[in-house]
This record gives sequence, C-alpha cells and structure tokens, in this order.
Amino acid sequence: MTVLRAGVGLIACAAAAAVLISCSGSGTGSRAGADSAASTPTIRIAEHRQPRIDALNKAIPKIEKQLGVVIEVIEYPAPEKDYLSKLLTELGAGNAPDLFTANFDSDVPDMVSAGYLAPMTAEVKAWDGYPQLFDVAKKLSTSADGQIYALDSMLLVQQLYFRRDLLDKAGISTAQPASWKDLLDRAREIKAKTGKYGLLLPAGISWGPGAFNEGFILFAPGSKTPQIVNRDGTLNLNGQGVRDIFRLYKSLIDEELMPVNPLLGPEPWVIPKYVMFPAGDLMATTCGTWCYIYDWGKDSKNPVPDVTKNVGTWAVPGMDGGLSVSISGSNIWAVNAKSAHVDLTKKVLLALCSVEATVAYAGLVGNIPARRDAADNKDFQALTELVPVLRDVDKGTFERSTPGFSVVSEGVARATEALLRKQTDAAGAQAILVKYVKDLLGDNAVK
Amino acid sequence: MTYETRMAWQNRLLLVPALVLLGCFILIPAVTAIYLSFTNDALSGYAASHPQLVGLKNYLRLFSDQGFWNSLIVTLAFVFGSSIVGQFVFGLAAALALRRPIALRPLFNAAILLPNAVPEVVAGFIWISMLAGGRYSTLSRIVGLIGVAPQNWLESAPLLMIIVVNTWRGIAFAMILMTSGLSAVPAEVYEAARMDGATARQIFWHITLPLLRPTIFLYMLVSTAGTIAIFGLIYTLTRGGPGGATEIIGIYIYNQSFVAYQLGYGSAVAVIMLAVSVALGAVYVRVLKVRV
Amino acid sequence: MRQFTRAQAAAYGFLTVTLLFCLLPFLWVALASVDPNATMFLSLPKAITADHFVKIFTANNGGRWFFNSLVTVGATTAVVVIVGGMGGYALSRTNAWWKRPFLYAIILVRVLPPTALIVPLYKVMLSANGLMGALVRSVVPPDSTRAAMRIFGFVDGYLGLILVLSAMQLPLALWIIKTYFDLTPKDYEEAALMDGANGWQRLHRILVPLALPGLGAAGLLTFIGAWGDFLMPLTFTSSAELQLLPIGLFRAFQRANTIDYGYLSALALLYMLPAVAAFGLARRFLVRTFTGGIKG
Repeated sequence: MTVLRAGVGLIACAAAAAVLISCSGSGTGSRAGADSAASTPTIRIAEHRQPRIDALNKAIPKIEKQLGVVIEVIEYPAPEKDYLSKLLTELGAGNAPDLFTANFDSDVPDMVSAGYLAPMTAEVKAWDGYPQLFDVAKKLSTSADGQIYALDSMLLVQQLYFRRDLLDKAGISTAQPASWKDLLDRAREIKAKTGKYGLLLPAGISWGPGAFNEGFILFAPGSKTPQIVNRDGTLNLNGQGVRDIFRLYKSLIDEELMPVNPLLGPEPWVIPKYVMFPAGDLMATTCGTWCYIYDWGKDSKNPVPDVTKNVGTWAVPGMDGGLSVSISGSNIWAVNAKSAHVDLTKKVLLALCSVEATVAYAGLVGNIPARRDAADNKDFQALTELVPVLRDVDKGTFERSTPGFSVVSEGVARATEALLRKQTDAAGAQAILVKYVKDLLGDNAVK
Repeated sequence: MTYETRMAWQNRLLLVPALVLLGCFILIPAVTAIYLSFTNDALSGYAASHPQLVGLKNYLRLFSDQGFWNSLIVTLAFVFGSSIVGQFVFGLAAALALRRPIALRPLFNAAILLPNAVPEVVAGFIWISMLAGGRYSTLSRIVGLIGVAPQNWLESAPLLMIIVVNTWRGIAFAMILMTSGLSAVPAEVYEAARMDGATARQIFWHITLPLLRPTIFLYMLVSTAGTIAIFGLIYTLTRGGPGGATEIIGIYIYNQSFVAYQLGYGSAVAVIMLAVSVALGAVYVRVLKVRV
Repeated sequence: MRQFTRAQAAAYGFLTVTLLFCLLPFLWVALASVDPNATMFLSLPKAITADHFVKIFTANNGGRWFFNSLVTVGATTAVVVIVGGMGGYALSRTNAWWKRPFLYAIILVRVLPPTALIVPLYKVMLSANGLMGALVRSVVPPDSTRAAMRIFGFVDGYLGLILVLSAMQLPLALWIIKTYFDLTPKDYEEAALMDGANGWQRLHRILVPLALPGLGAAGLLTFIGAWGDFLMPLTFTSSAELQLLPIGLFRAFQRANTIDYGYLSALALLYMLPAVAAFGLARRFLVRTFTGGIKG
C-alpha cells in the first residue's frame, strides 16, 4: 500500500544518496583523510559570507603548499549572530574548528576568559610580519593581561562620508569640519539651503550594534571621555563626554537633521544609506572603507555615479578640535585552544596574515590590511579607493574592549532609541545607559 | 500469558523507539535546561569555564524585573489573538469550506499553505516589505489607494500587526488539524441529524464542534506552546519595540541574556514559560472538558 | 436548494478573502525573484531575468542542497510516521499511570526556546558521535571512515540529523495519532480479532487504513515542520556535502548589511515547492472518512 511504497521509495533514495556520497566522499577522501601521524594533517577553518569565503579560498592553495597541510574551509551561517552562536556552542562542547575569526574586538575578551583561545604571544612576536603591523593592530590584538589571543590581521576604518558633488552644487563648504559645533552648523546649513538631511548617525535598537560601533564610538575619542574602558576594566560612563555625545545626537534628531522614522523600523539602514544617500536626500553619514565599493560603488544596487569623485570623506572632528579616524579590528583570527594541532594552526594563522591573504580579503570585502607593507603590493594598489586610507591608519584611534562590552553596545542602542523617540534629553539618555549596564554587569562595573 | 498482559507488553514494545528518541534528544536536554536555570552557566565569558550553582538567583532577578511581567502580558495577548482566535477561526472555517465541492481546490490549498511553507527568515522580510518603511511599505501603498495616510504600521499598531503576521503564518497548521479531525466524524452522524431535520447551524454547534473537541484541544495545546516559543519572526519585525509593546517572552529572554549567551538566566525564563504553558494546558482541559 | 447555494457562496467568499490575505505578501517575493535590481520594497521590475534561479544551481550547490533536504526530511517523515504510528497506537490503547504526564511533558517541551536546548543537545549528540565513530572505525577501512561518518555520524552526519529532526517532530505526531486512534472505535479491532486475525498483518490491514487521516496529518505536519527547521541543520552539519537548503538562503547575505533579495526570493520560491507538493499528496489521506463496517 501507499505507506509501503513511500517507504520503499525513501530507501531507494537513501541508497542513491549513499552511492552519491561515497562517490564524492572518495573524491575528497584523499584530501581530508584519516588524521593519523603518517598522513597530512587537516586544519579546519571556519568562515562565513561568500565574499570572505572566496577570499579565503584564494589564499589557501599557497598556504597548503608552504606548510604541507590540507586546509578545509567550513561554511558557517552568514549572519553574525548565527555564526557566533554555532561557534560558541561548538567551542563549549570542545568540537570547534581549529581556526576561526571573532566578529568584533569586543567578542574576544569573553572568549579569552572562557578559555577557548590558545595564547600565541611568543609566536606572533617572533613572526616576521610583526614589525610591519600598525601599532593600532598590535594594541587591539593585546589582551588586558598582555598576552595575544587573537590577531587583528585587518582593520575597519570609519569616517564621515559626504556628497561632495551635491554640497558643491548648493554652495556649501566641503572643508573638513573642525569641531562638533562646526559639524552641526554644516548640517544645519545643508538643511537650510537644500532641505535635505545633513548628517546620519546610526541610532536606536533596530540598528543593533550599529548605534555604538558605527556612531557613538566615532565621537568618543574627540570627547571628554576618550576611552570608555578604564585601565582596571571598569566602564567610564558617568562622565561629561558621554553626555556630550548624546547631546550631539539630540541636536541632530530634534532639529531634524537626520532621518528618524526609518531608524525606528526593521532594517533601518536600508532607506537612509541605500536609498536616501544615493538619491541625495541625505548628504552625509558615517561609513567605512567598504562603502565606496559595496554600498555606493559599481557593485552596489544604487550606485552613486563616479563615486570616488562625488563622495568625499571627512575625519571625525573632536568636540573642541582635533581629528580622529575610528579604527576597529577585522579578520580577528584566533586558534582553538582544544585543537588537535595547535602549533600547526598557529602557523596557518600567521600565513593568513600575510600580505597576499589580507589583500585578497581587502579586494573582496573592503577592509584594510593591518600591515604597512601592504602598500607596496601591486594588487592592493589596484584597489584605488583603499590606498589613501592605508596611509592614514597611523592617525587612527580605537577603543579598548573589556568583557561584557556587548552590554555597553546594547545600552547605547537603548539610550539613542529614547532620544529618537524624543522621550528624554542627553542626561536622561546617559542615565538609561548607565542603568542598563549596571543592571546587567553589576553596580561595580561603572565608575 | 493472558490477552491483557500480552497486549500490555505489546504496547510497551511499540513505545520503545519513541521513548528512546524522545528520551535522548528531548527529555535529557530539557532536564539539563532546568538544571542550568539554577546556575550561571554561559556560552562565553568567565562563567563559561567556571559555571557555578546560584540557586534561585536567576528566578529572583526575573520576578523583580518589570520587563518580565510586561512580556508575560504581551505574550498572553499575542497567543490569544493569533493562536486561539486568529489561526483557529481561519483554519476551522477553511477546513469546513474545503470539505465542500469547490472548484480550484488545489489552488486554495496551496495558497493557505504557502505562509507556513516559507522559511522564517524570508517570512520576516516579506512582512518588513509589507509593513515597514513608511510610505514604501506595501500596506501603505494599498491603503493609500483609499485615502489613508502612509504610516509606519509597526509603530502605530505593533501588537495588532504581529498578531496579524502570526495568524497569517499559522492558518495552515490549524486547517490541517481541523481537516483531520473533521474526517473522524462518521458520515452517518450527519445523515441521521439531517434526517431528523436539523439545520446546518444546529449541526455545526451541537454535533460537529463537540465531536471536534479532542482535536480542538490538541490544536490549542500545541499551538499555544508553539506560539509562546516564537522568537525569530517577531524579533526581525520589531525587536520587541516600540517600548516593549511587542516584547514577547522569547524576545525578552534574548534581550536579557545579551545575545542569549547566558544559559543560566535564559533557562530560568524558559522554565517559567514551561510553567505558564502547563497552567494554560490545565485551563484548556477544564474548558474543553477533554480526557487525554 | 437555495440554502445550499448560499452556503456554497459563503464558502467561496471566505476562501477568496483568505487566499488574498495569504498570497498578497508573496507578491513581493514573486516580483523580486525575477528582478535583477530587487530591493526590500515592492517594485515593478524594469527588466526580467532568470539569473537568480540559474545562480542557485550553477554558481551554488542548489542541486545538492535540495537533494540533501529532500532525503533528510523525507527520511525524517518516514521515521516519525512509523515510530509515531506505533507509539500513538500504544498510547491510545494503554492506561498506564505515566501516560498523561508523559504526553503533556513532551508537548509542552515545545515551549522551551531552542537556544536553551541546543547546548545540552549538542553535547548529547557529540557523545553519541564519539561512540558511533569508534564503531565505524572498527568496522570500516580508514580511507572510508570520513565517508561513512558522513552517513552514520551524529554530528555532521545524515543519521544524526534525521534522528534529531525526528525527535523534534515526534511529540506532535504522537499526539495526533493517539488522538486519532482514540476516536477510532475499538470495535474494528475486536471484530478483526474475532474473525481470527492474528499477527500484525490483519491488524495492519484494519488499523492503518482506519488511521490514515491521522497518519497523513502527522506525516504532513512532520514534513512541513522538519522542512522549515533551520536551527538543527545549521548547528549539526558542517561539511559542504551535507548542507541543506537553509545554508543556501544565508548565501543571500553578502556583506554586513547588504542582502541579495532577488536571490533570496528565488530560493524561497523553490524552497516552498516541496512543502506544497507534500500537502497536495497528503490531502487525499486527510479527508478519508469512515464508511460503514460495523453495523448491527
């Protein structure tokens, strides 16, 4: 009867599957064969998102030959949250791949205190690429205890991006704003002369970590609270600087210099960055090096014509002067402490921090290699939009991380959400942030 | 061996595969989760390598949090609106309607099934496309044709919107269960009733519904449990906002356990969810007067 | 006659409203799947392209993903229908003291969010995987160990994934089948037994056809439920050869905030087809009704 027929059909399918699998299995079986001492060891690397996987695949063949290993790339789910969930589950159970990246610098301290990462201070310092690393990268890679558990092999550089063509047309100055007041005045001028939005800072709960990572943190270095994390690991959130940053947000929101409605809904970046900015309804926003290529460049959905000419960059001014360029880590490689081949994996890691490997990523992802000698690489020089940024990395600033930093990120999202909804003022927003962090991390966490 | 003992052994044997599967893959993890609720275990951070028993600390934190009680109320409203009313009414009506000779029945079947067949990720984007973006959203465009102003639907009527979305998603499940339940009503019963002169309405209220009670109970129980546990779809749409208006308990756990890496606290909330659904189950048994 | 037509009209009316409600949101998906410049919002495509669909199978492993999903979920459905069929029958006919607590326990466990369960579950699977690995290595030559583990492994293996998916769907199936057998009068079985039916054959000739709507509903809901399960395949498979359709959907997520909506929509449309097909197939079983048999 039908149930039996279905059963037979399924068994037939399963048999076919078994045949297919063993065929493909033997194809890769010789590559990823048994891991005995006699045969080539296999190193498993976790990676997610197609452009990153493509970049990794470009770098692998040379590394395999160089080190005499077989490298297996395991594709993880694309969204950051799902990637980290799967990785942490496996790390907790002791079954994670040998080599993987952390999404943000702020993820690393918690992984370190959980004992998941193998320390590699000695190997990294002895590595020939170490002198080439920018100081920023060295500092970002060093944990609070002075050891290196994860290596920031690339950097993300964020600045303010503006429509040079449209500002020129409206007769507004495109000179570098010198202070926050200058920046605000420029935004006000844009609104008065063109009626369009002057400056977007990511804000609100829907934007997730963006309110902090792509907004708040850019202005911290130039505020009265340059570092949010104190030397002893506590958080410096009660200061005047934090209040001033929220005041900046409040001005932008209350004076309608930035779009508010889209930020209250899901996928809040879509309309401002991919619709308004190319269309000229938004004149300036925070963004990173990848934006020239993938947000507004020829590879994007809504390209800005002649993007390198028409879209310019400003460094982020300090509150009373000074300039900063916000830098955070990317391609933060770490070794699984429970890996069967810890030393060999460390070698693979260092090979992935070579000029070629990092330039491969730069071309496909839009981040910047963390090494000076990348500037001399022909393939890198072909990425014209990124070259000047590499030169300026030394001028960059960064924020220290501490365990539980994701709580600060969420706190800033909630504080800016209250500002977006015009429910409070700058002091009130700061209170929301402090209360949230204290609730989750304890009263002692905030100084 | 008597007939009864033989049947009893036969029953036990028939149950063994189910018991093994459920025991290993559901009951053991569930019991572990209950145990974890008394610890501060986490997936990352210091507690990950040194988890400690903290007794009732997680629960105390839970009960003193205003957000928790808010999310409980929101969840109950959400379950009532979408599962008990929305999906059930639509599902039962569809099951009844499709028992008649209807042209294009496969088309109606497929249409009702599609919302449930689409993966949650895509369902999230579908409704973002419908509801978010102010004047860009599909719903705004549609009501614009009759003169209603475009608005941010997820801002102006968040709870209503998520109820609508979840109703949309779950009609098929109710319909399938109701169809199967309706099939268990023998045709003779209907014939006899009709011969006795009963009207369609009387047949429905006094014959069909009572005979459907076990199926309805099953539907209510399963759907309630499933709806309480919903997370992804609603999180994508509203993140629990505005101001906690749609913070169903799944989203509350997520927000509180900062990215759900705090296994201990998350498990405590999960245990409370279990208690709530047990209570609801008891209510259903009473109201529907079923014997399991 | 008039009453009949009015009811018929009401039925059509309601079904049409429901159809519109269900299908309208899909308009975006349909249009985006053929739009080279698909965005998050509904827009008429300025050009039509089949590129998204083609890309699924050429640039990506669409064929493999589909195959894996069909095999895994199909096997899951078979396992659940068989194991659930037996278990549901036993639960219906038994009066053991643990019956009601057990039934309530398994269905209410659905309330626990998967994130709370996945970590302990992973550890259970990993232990089972270790045992299986030892068994396989003692039986199979070293070169084929990897291939054998892909089939029989609990983590990163078909067997484990099928068993986990089955376990997730089993509670509902048990309840449905049990409820259905509860509604089936014992008279049929007793009649068969009195007619001298012994052994499984006769019982199956009577019981399975009687229970077909219940089995059909359980099988269909299992298929749909397992087909839509993202978390289990994502957590428990790693090898490229084992990937199911969910990973394909995530391929639409390019860089941090850019999503290829066209590709996502195309894959979603293909994704939904087997579920619709399953429903079409199972529909026949769902509406079987009792016909005579035990009069007098």
